[in-house]
Amino acid sequence: MKVNSLAFRLFATATAWTLIALPIVGMIIYSLISNLILDGFDSRLRQHTWVLQSEAITGGREPSRPENLAEPLFGVTNSGWYWQIKPYNGAQGRTFVSNSLATGSLPSPHEKGASRVEGDMRWLDVKGPLGQPLRVVELVGTIGEEEGSPVYLFAVAGPLDWPGATINNFGLILALAFALMGLALLAATFLQVKVALRPLSMIEKGLSNIRNGDAVRLDGEYPAEIEPLQVELNALIESNEDIIERARTQVGNLAHALKTPLAVLTNEADQKDTPLAAKVSEQAALMGNQISHYLDRARMAARANTIGRVTPVLPVVEGLQRALERIHLDKGVRIAVECDEKLTFRGEKQDLEELLGNLLDNASKWSEGDVQLQATLVDADRAHPGQWLKVTIEDDGPGVPEAQRAAMMKRGQRLDESKPGSGLGMSIVHDLVTSYRGELLLSQSVMGGLKAELTLPAVRS
Amino acid sequence: MRALVVEDDPDLNRQLVTALEDADYVVDTATDGEEGCFLGETEPYDIVILDLGLPQMDGLTVLEQWRRGDRKMPVIILTARDRWSDKVAGMDAGADDYLAKPFHMEELLARVRAQVRRAAGHAKSEIECGPVRLDTKSGRVTNDGQVVKLTSHEYRLVSYLMHHKGRVVSRTELVEHMYDQDFDRDSNTIEVFVGRLRKKIPANLIRTVRGLGYCLSEEDEG
Repeated sequence: MKVNSLAFRLFATATAWTLIALPIVGMIIYSLISNLILDGFDSRLRQHTWVLQSEAITGGREPSRPENLAEPLFGVTNSGWYWQIKPYNGAQGRTFVSNSLATGSLPSPHEKGASRVEGDMRWLDVKGPLGQPLRVVELVGTIGEEEGSPVYLFAVAGPLDWPGATINNFGLILALAFALMGLALLAATFLQVKVALRPLSMIEKGLSNIRNGDAVRLDGEYPAEIEPLQVELNALIESNEDIIERARTQVGNLAHALKTPLAVLTNEADQKDTPLAAKVSEQAALMGNQISHYLDRARMAARANTIGRVTPVLPVVEGLQRALERIHLDKGVRIAVECDEKLTFRGEKQDLEELLGNLLDNASKWSEGDVQLQATLVDADRAHPGQWLKVTIEDDGPGVPEAQRAAMMKRGQRLDESKPGSGLGMSIVHDLVTSYRGELLLSQSVMGGLKAELTLPAVRS
Repeated sequence: MRALVVEDDPDLNRQLVTALEDADYVVDTATDGEEGCFLGETEPYDIVILDLGLPQMDGLTVLEQWRRGDRKMPVIILTARDRWSDKVAGMDAGADDYLAKPFHMEELLARVRAQVRRAAGHAKSEIECGPVRLDTKSGRVTNDGQVVKLTSHEYRLVSYLMHHKGRVVSRTELVEHMYDQDFDRDSNTIEVFVGRLRKKIPANLIRTVRGLGYCLSEEDEG
């Protein structure tokens, strides 16, 4: 998972939220429950205190020792459960303590200062006889109904360990449960992110298929939120194709519209032998070149935006072979073709036709009758990562001296004026090869003539 | 030799007709696809110049219709669309050659000559028959190296016979290939031209085959 990714963002925010929210909720629950447990403990102490007072009332001037207390632990020595009855403010009178207290006594919140006062009850947390923490509640009350009955302090103590242990146990279980829940939430978030983002990787794959030419549109079932994106992408691809098609048509129309009058001008001027005719001839030729040049540029600009075009090589080669063998029928040119039918060019059919057509036409024009075309898939290397195909075109003509080969690529350059042609063919080839980031190598063929090696992007078959 | 020019641009059409007539072709012309198609289907032409962008019926359709109807005359396509895809489509439709606009008339005429020769089965630009030699490039006829002066009609006659040497050519066929469509086919001026031609080149080269026509050949059956 990359840091700068949707998956990471979703996962990180969900994790942060879980890490903050779970402990807060845990603390709230923990404090509510521990308060509840302590409240229960306190009300039990309060109950014992009331029972202690009522059991001690005799109606006389002295309390009696209470016997019927509901807590048996008052009778077990150092049990942590104690009670004590003693006269208020050191007045005269008997003092009673529970058997559990043996010979000890309980510190009086009334005398030591209470931490909490509730009506006539006073609360204090103290240390017991064995040093264990105790909570003491003490009630100031009389033992008779009449006026001036002696006032006594009735105290009951319970071990704070008792609710403490319950609270600790609960806290441990709570922490464990919340930790497990946190982990489960994180795992669920992770899965959720993966599942939710899967359509995006589907789109990525679909677009890559379109770029590779394996598909022409984005197909497949997408979730409702992604579907508009799919529709828009497909519309974009279609409109892209429309624009190119329109541009092509316009370019073709322009060509037709301009070239016919230009042909008329050229031929009219050719008829006359005047300086004006010569000038018209020269300028018409210049205009023709300019038109071709800008038509090529327009075609290439239109093509730069095309996506996902693939062209099987063999049908293009066969079409050119038929046409060229017919065009050069007088010379009896034979074009020997060696090309796997699975070979596929990553690009426009028209571009491949221009590339191979111009090279084959040149080879046919200059050959003594034999032209060879060989097309193969080449392995990727450092200079050409990805898939490439190599087309080699050779002829048995006179060839081109090494020094002149570079000049062949220049627009309007014709090495030999005796053969018909515009001098544009090779420069179109050069421009096209460059636009496909391919390569064109010219060398001497073993057949005697020129050998042109064309490297072009291919599609893995 | 009889040529058909199908081109909708009136100026270019006129230029083509003039150039072909100057080269001693008899030229019919059409300015739309339908008319061109009809002429090509009904008249015997030795060469057709066909523009692809035509009103009413485009050139490729016209060409395909001709080829489907087994019309075999050589056709040179003329078009502004000079991409190889267009050329391949044109050749696949049955064209014999392809010329992109703008072009020089000289190049067109060279291709016309080449197609006419090719259709008659001659590989070289010079056709020989005994001492007589026809240079299709210059349009010159020589007899034993001496230039033979010919009128336009005589040239068309000897050119057609030379292109089809060794074959018996009927009078009707000669009329069809020497005159345009409006010519009166019953005329017997052909005999007059043959008679004149026999005085300019060795007379025994042109044999009269009774009831069939004429045959130009070097075998002397005298």
